[in-house]
Amino acid sequence: MQRYRLPDYRNGQAMTTIPLPSTNKITTILTQLWRPKTRYYLIASLFILPAIINFSVFRYLPIIAAARSSLWQYSLLGGYRDFIGLQHYANMMEDPYFWKSMNVTAMFVIMKVPLQVFLSLMLAILLQKETRSSAIVRSAVFTPVVTSVVVVSIIWAMMYHSQLGLINSILSMFGIPRQTFLTDPNRALPALTAMMVWKDLGFSMIIIMAGLKGIPTVYREAAIVDGAGPWQIMLHITLPLLKRVLMFVVVTQTIFSFQNFVPVYVMTKGGPIDSTKVIVYYIYQFGFLFQDMGYASAMSIVTLMILLVVSMIQMRIFRSDVEY
Amino acid sequence: MQSAKTHPNAIYKRPAQLILRKLGISVSEYFIYGVLVLIFLTPLVWMVLGSLREEKEIFANLYPFSIHTFLPIKWTLKTYLDLFGISEEGVKYGLHFQRFMANSLLVSVAVVSSSLVFNTMGAYFFARLDFPFKNVLLIFVVATMLIPFQATIVPLYIVVSKLGLRDSFWGLIIPWFASPFVIFALAQFIKEIPKELDEAATIDGASLLGILRHVIIPNAIPGIITMALLEFQFIWNLFYWPLIVINDPDLQMIQVAIANQTTQTQVYWGRTFAGSSLASLPVIALFLALQKWYIQGVATTGLKG
Repeated sequence: MQRYRLPDYRNGQAMTTIPLPSTNKITTILTQLWRPKTRYYLIASLFILPAIINFSVFRYLPIIAAARSSLWQYSLLGGYRDFIGLQHYANMMEDPYFWKSMNVTAMFVIMKVPLQVFLSLMLAILLQKETRSSAIVRSAVFTPVVTSVVVVSIIWAMMYHSQLGLINSILSMFGIPRQTFLTDPNRALPALTAMMVWKDLGFSMIIIMAGLKGIPTVYREAAIVDGAGPWQIMLHITLPLLKRVLMFVVVTQTIFSFQNFVPVYVMTKGGPIDSTKVIVYYIYQFGFLFQDMGYASAMSIVTLMILLVVSMIQMRIFRSDVEY
Repeated sequence: MQSAKTHPNAIYKRPAQLILRKLGISVSEYFIYGVLVLIFLTPLVWMVLGSLREEKEIFANLYPFSIHTFLPIKWTLKTYLDLFGISEEGVKYGLHFQRFMANSLLVSVAVVSSSLVFNTMGAYFFARLDFPFKNVLLIFVVATMLIPFQATIVPLYIVVSKLGLRDSFWGLIIPWFASPFVIFALAQFIKEIPKELDEAATIDGASLLGILRHVIIPNAIPGIITMALLEFQFIWNLFYWPLIVINDPDLQMIQVAIANQTTQTQVYWGRTFAGSSLASLPVIALFLALQKWYIQGVATTGLKG
């Protein structure tokens, strides 16, 4: 910033070397822009500009485009054909497959999230110790998280295979006859749920573990001094103080799980008899298999709204909660 | 062990009961640990070992369940040679998996490097710079985190095809060169760097870019590595987006390639195992090598990649 110091006028030479401000309009604007503060702002804006452009074009613009195309008969090849207003939304309300897929999605979330959060809380408490062996187990539990969901789906589809699957082979060891998993309409969704709990468990475990570490030890020590047993500490100290973290895990997992797509695409294609057709897969079918981008956009907007409401509830909870 | 070493008789001085109880607790604990490791690693071990044997061996040893359900009797790299189009069978089916791996690697590296440049700049802006209505900009950025990615992929596809980026690497790279999660997480890291360092550099005449390069980045390296890891995993494992954006089979990324291969040819289990190993092991290896940073990143951002 030294360059912008005022010239030293006590030295007569400076007056002669610096030209007087020109009366030319353009030059005036330029010198105005070249003021240190404005120049600083200009340069600073360059730091954020790429990100702002990216988010405007690839995050916000799609939503506007979706809102627009949801009001039209629209396909990528045919373009905008007829303006039909809210017709897509009205159709959606009467579309039994839409409701069915919302139902399947909700069932998936309701089965997966509580089970996952409960199990990851147990694992976080069990593996909290700073020993070498628990560190190894933690890495093992976390490995499925970094494994691609495509690979996980492919391998589990083979494990679930009714004739050649590993799970049936293990079951046969205990004398249990062969089971069908992915081809049975009553079992396909629970089978997908079990797989995704297995995959995501390590992720929520790590977050809960960080939450456990954040609880000041004084509370636990005070409870021990007061004669509380491990269960009482768990119930009256740890869980209440962990509420915030648990809520975070529940909400983010609800949002992730609501958008489940890849396992359905790879393992079942929505079947058998639509028992695993989740909403994102239904949107995919309309948008890319049936080429009806208008209806697909309308369903995307509705899904977006539902998930925004979930996020709002999340923010509410975070604001109202007590700090410790 | 140490006390036993220094005092050979020390172990006998302990009450036998205590030792037993201690042993009992640790045995049940190790039993649970063992079961957990088995549950979480068995599918992956089955996959990797299954790719290292001949296909008929997989089926022949499935029933009854034995050690050879997993462990190959005859170790071979044939499935990999098939996938890379080196063996006769691989040539016959026209397989060239190295292509998909190279595509994935290229796209991942391009996204990670561009995203590190732009996200670090953005994070520096929010953590340090002074700007009118900076809070509004912050809300603009943070609010994008609320937009669910998979649910809004149809609209994103409409925009990207309007921009003419469909069926090219650009369509895979450009939408991801900035991430609100990474900006937010890196801004937290940068805020922890003492501000005095910036001020000292300013007095020495450094420009904003100079401060970013010589003060902020060297001090934020752990955060930057963590974010690079998460981002790499995110892009390498991307499936839905390349599935719809790329039509040209030669430009396809590895996750879509293996999914297509299995759905089309369900019977070739050996090759499926090998392809799945190729598609997952790079990220798993990276995770195991840089575990500490990785877990720290997940714990601080709540970001899944």
